Amino acid sequence: MISRVSTLFAFGLLLMIIDIAQADEATLTAEELVGKVLDQTRGLTSYSELTMTVKRPEWTRKSSFTVWTRGREDALIRFTAPPRDVGNATLKKGDQMWTFSPKIKRTVRLPKSMMSQGWAGSDFSYNDLARSDSLLQHYELAIVLEQNEDNHTVYTIEAIPKENAPVVWGKEVLKVRDDYVLLEHAFYDQDLELVKWIETQDIATFDGRPIPKTLRMKNTDDEEKWTEIEHTHVEFDVELDDNKFTLFSLRGSD
Amino acid sequence: MKQTVTSRVSLIYTLSVRNLWRQRRRNTILLVSVISAITGVVVLNSLVRGMQLQMVDQVVYNLNGHITLHAPDYRSDPAITRGFLEDSDEFAHKLESVNLAGWATRIKVPAVVMSERETRGVQIIGIDPSQEHISIVSDLRIEGSFLTDSTDNRIVLGRALLTQLRTKIGHRIVVVMQDSNNKSIEVGFQIAGVYDSNSEGMEKHVIFAGKHALQQFLKSESITELSLRFNTRLIPPGILESISQSFPNLEAVDWKNIDPILAFMYESVNAMVYVWLAIVFTALVFGLMNTFITAVLERTHEIGLCKSMGMKSSLVLYQVTTESLIIMFLGLIGGLLLSWGVLQLIGDGIDLSAFAAGVEMLNLAPKIRPAVVWQDVSIVVIATIFLALTASLYPAIRAVRLDPLVALRD
Repeated sequence: MISRVSTLFAFGLLLMIIDIAQADEATLTAEELVGKVLDQTRGLTSYSELTMTVKRPEWTRKSSFTVWTRGREDALIRFTAPPRDVGNATLKKGDQMWTFSPKIKRTVRLPKSMMSQGWAGSDFSYNDLARSDSLLQHYELAIVLEQNEDNHTVYTIEAIPKENAPVVWGKEVLKVRDDYVLLEHAFYDQDLELVKWIETQDIATFDGRPIPKTLRMKNTDDEEKWTEIEHTHVEFDVELDDNKFTLFSLRGSD
Repeated sequence: MKQTVTSRVSLIYTLSVRNLWRQRRRNTILLVSVISAITGVVVLNSLVRGMQLQMVDQVVYNLNGHITLHAPDYRSDPAITRGFLEDSDEFAHKLESVNLAGWATRIKVPAVVMSERETRGVQIIGIDPSQEHISIVSDLRIEGSFLTDSTDNRIVLGRALLTQLRTKIGHRIVVVMQDSNNKSIEVGFQIAGVYDSNSEGMEKHVIFAGKHALQQFLKSESITELSLRFNTRLIPPGILESISQSFPNLEAVDWKNIDPILAFMYESVNAMVYVWLAIVFTALVFGLMNTFITAVLERTHEIGLCKSMGMKSSLVLYQVTTESLIIMFLGLIGGLLLSWGVLQLIGDGIDLSAFAAGVEMLNLAPKIRPAVVWQDVSIVVIATIFLALTASLYPAIRAVRLDPLVALRD
């Protein structure tokens, strides 16, 4: 369960942050800014290695996995550590997802209801991260603040859901740097109380692009609990087999 | 001297009454025990029957109806793709001859609801509020407002679910469902109101939306069920078959099939009632028999005397039997009157809300209202008379077999 869930988590983070291109210096609207942050990954491929730390008051768990992506629709994740989870893999194609566990040698298609669940012990959900285009579709965006920090302009964007949008949040607030690095993404409930937020702990340049190297997800219910993802290696525009994102590949151990 | 039947009967009667009167104390105790046995049987039986019928009411009332019609494959996979088209005129025409309290068409599909903090699996029920006078919907206690009509695109959920989701009336929740193309869809609903019901299970798992609003979201014109409620508490015999025949394309299911566990409980209560009657009456028959054997033994001398003076054996037999019949008859009348009184007293129902959790588990209403089933009462009456005869038979035969010479010698 944990590994499946963490896979979901990793997907989301990846889809959101990977591959952020350089900015045009022209002034951008909030929509364009978010679009740039989100849409830069379309049509591109990537290969990355990550470690994830799930911190709970009683225990801490570390795992590692490798991720291949193509555009924003397709992704394959395979665990490389701890030994217990090696080979566990998840495939995302469009809005469908499958998991594979070598222990049971079974491919399971994840029902939508599971994909929308908060995962065990945390309030991270697949929806929060993987479906980030909903920001453009279901929200009214506005730049509410522009600040200068360390020679960068940091935009604070407020996203308010449209009437009857399929969105549970009251509002979301994003902090985006002018080179399209997401610094913070906060989720507020419908009473406009902060529920949880993702913060970028560390920015690094991989393959010529600045990306959030370390991201931490926290929630206001329990500050002792957090989940952190760290990129250890990222490559962009890599050559990928056409059959990389197939059920066959999901079962393989390449 | 030729005795008339009347005079013989009056002689037997006089003798029996005098004999009973001689042992006032003992016979009064016997009478009281018969009265309490009968009262106990009738009152408890009414309570058990009341409970049993309330269980049925609950299932029927709980958005099932006495009979529910589905597409044949709906029950194995409840999805909107396994629905059928609603044709009110056709339904009305086909149901014209049936004595119904009403019918309702609904959409029942599984869904997942999400709030800012929680996610829960539920059943979403698309209803037309104007049809729901036949179901629990009309009785739910609502905070906020209920759906105004079937096109209302808001949602109503249970108090327990609202607490679990940590959300509020007026806030938005997201519902994930499968539409008619088998695709997952997410719909944002505003919470119109919250209902309280006696069942926490229902509050947690049932949410209401407008039927037509839901059809739009699901991109379908289908409904998944047609639910019928009769004017009677139970399904009139033979009706299920005739309804199946008038809807050949649909599967007609009665409440027993909808809730097999409850149906099993219902059937076992039937068996239990009769087993219990048998136990009480067996105990009673031995008590009676014992008393009458004593009575006969006490009267050995006088029975011997009567017989030696020429009293016929049959007369002795009738005498003992009549005594038994008188006691039982008085007991029966007393018992029924007392039962009536007790049932008047508890007619409003026995409040079980102190045991709410257990009561809910058994699918009972928090108040047990006794129900008198005349069939059971007539069984009690017949059984009592039959018992009076059987219980007195053995003592009577002993009295008859008494040898007058032996009896007088001792």
